[in-house]
Amino acid sequence: MRLRRTDPHTLAGAYALDSLGDVDREKFERHLGVCEACRAEAASLRDAAGRLAEATAAVPPSWLRGQVLAEAARTRQQPPPVRVAERVRRSWHGVGWPAAPRMAVAIAGVGILVALALGTLLVNDQHRLHVDETQRGQIAAVLNAPDADIMTVPAKPHGSATVVMSHADHALVLTTARLPVLPSTECYQVWVMGTHRMRSAGRLPSPKQGMTAPMIVAGIAAGDQMGVTVEPASGSQHPTSPPVLMLALPSD
Amino acid sequence: MTAELPGERPSAAPASELAGLLAKVARGDEAAFAGVYDRFGTVVYGLVRRIVRDPAQSEEVTQEVLLDVWRTASRFDPGQGSARSWLMTLAHRRAVDRVRSAQASAQREARAAVAATDYDVVAEEVETRLDAQRVRRCLDSLTELQRESVTLAYYGGYTYREVAALLGVAVGTVKTRMRDGLIRLRDCLGTES
Repeated sequence: MRLRRTDPHTLAGAYALDSLGDVDREKFERHLGVCEACRAEAASLRDAAGRLAEATAAVPPSWLRGQVLAEAARTRQQPPPVRVAERVRRSWHGVGWPAAPRMAVAIAGVGILVALALGTLLVNDQHRLHVDETQRGQIAAVLNAPDADIMTVPAKPHGSATVVMSHADHALVLTTARLPVLPSTECYQVWVMGTHRMRSAGRLPSPKQGMTAPMIVAGIAAGDQMGVTVEPASGSQHPTSPPVLMLALPSD
Repeated sequence: MTAELPGERPSAAPASELAGLLAKVARGDEAAFAGVYDRFGTVVYGLVRRIVRDPAQSEEVTQEVLLDVWRTASRFDPGQGSARSWLMTLAHRRAVDRVRSAQASAQREARAAVAATDYDVVAEEVETRLDAQRVRRCLDSLTELQRESVTLAYYGGYTYREVAALLGVAVGTVKTRMRDGLIRLRDCLGTES
């Protein structure tokens, strides 16, 4: 689409100024996910843009302070994302796999990102990813669930997975971007690990334009963990290689 | 290539002060949160007011921004940029979301005329504060097209396509000017103290 025709790097300024529309911003953020130099530049430009606010300081009405502080006092705070990563490292280690790769988990504004995920996965009219109709219904249900949590996890050595999970539906939707391309003798297999057992959730669809079609994983319980490994094309009974990505699913 | 290096700013002191406050806020420290309000409330409110215009809506958005700080302080990651930048991003995005969603396109077009002259207003406000004077000086070091592209986007809350339409230039030109302008601004603010 547009970003592919133009050099994405030129969007860094408009991005730092929050001047991209939703579609362009989503694309640029995907690009940031794979371009470390771009992340550094975008951060420095955003910093510079933020300094422009120094020219507009104004004193808010005095009653606002008390209202804001009172509102904060009755507002629950979000937990740090680190907690999730640590839980993963601990328990996947327990099943005999090598220590988990480091990862960062970002859980962000669900409304925008659900729209983003839908836009990316289902409304990408130039490169529509094939999803069958029943799955499409289940996927839409999860993406639209009021309790949907969205998480993006980096994969090793590159690429990422985006998961939208609904506790109410006991299901998640998984999609990946830019994972290493595998030979036809191998596949990516998805695993779900609960307290007592690990089960296969099936193989990832083959990628189109670097992305895999959204895959629904049902029967998820609070505290489960999800991992992806490289397996023989026919799939395995148990994981036989270190995970390329892992994610502890939020427990509430 | 200095353009590739984020680097520490000379004005890092208030930023690390904010980072310290955010760490406490993340642990539920209401006094630290009051400290964030007292120290940065004017910058947040000023920016929001500048973009949103309407005082009542500006107060609402300012409250939303500060509650975002309270709720998500634990998500602030110093590895991703300065605390100040994190805060201003929250504020700017909230304000821009408000003007983009709430205002009908007709009203937005009417705002264009006002926004186009905004730089003069900035210049006036700028005279009152030292920080602001530095920003003004650095804005002055930009080419006219760079400056207009940056200020229409940042203070006006316009998308780059809208900025291109307002300035009557190609969108590609505006994108480039925004990036070049911010690089110049960054380098100017980074080297002045």
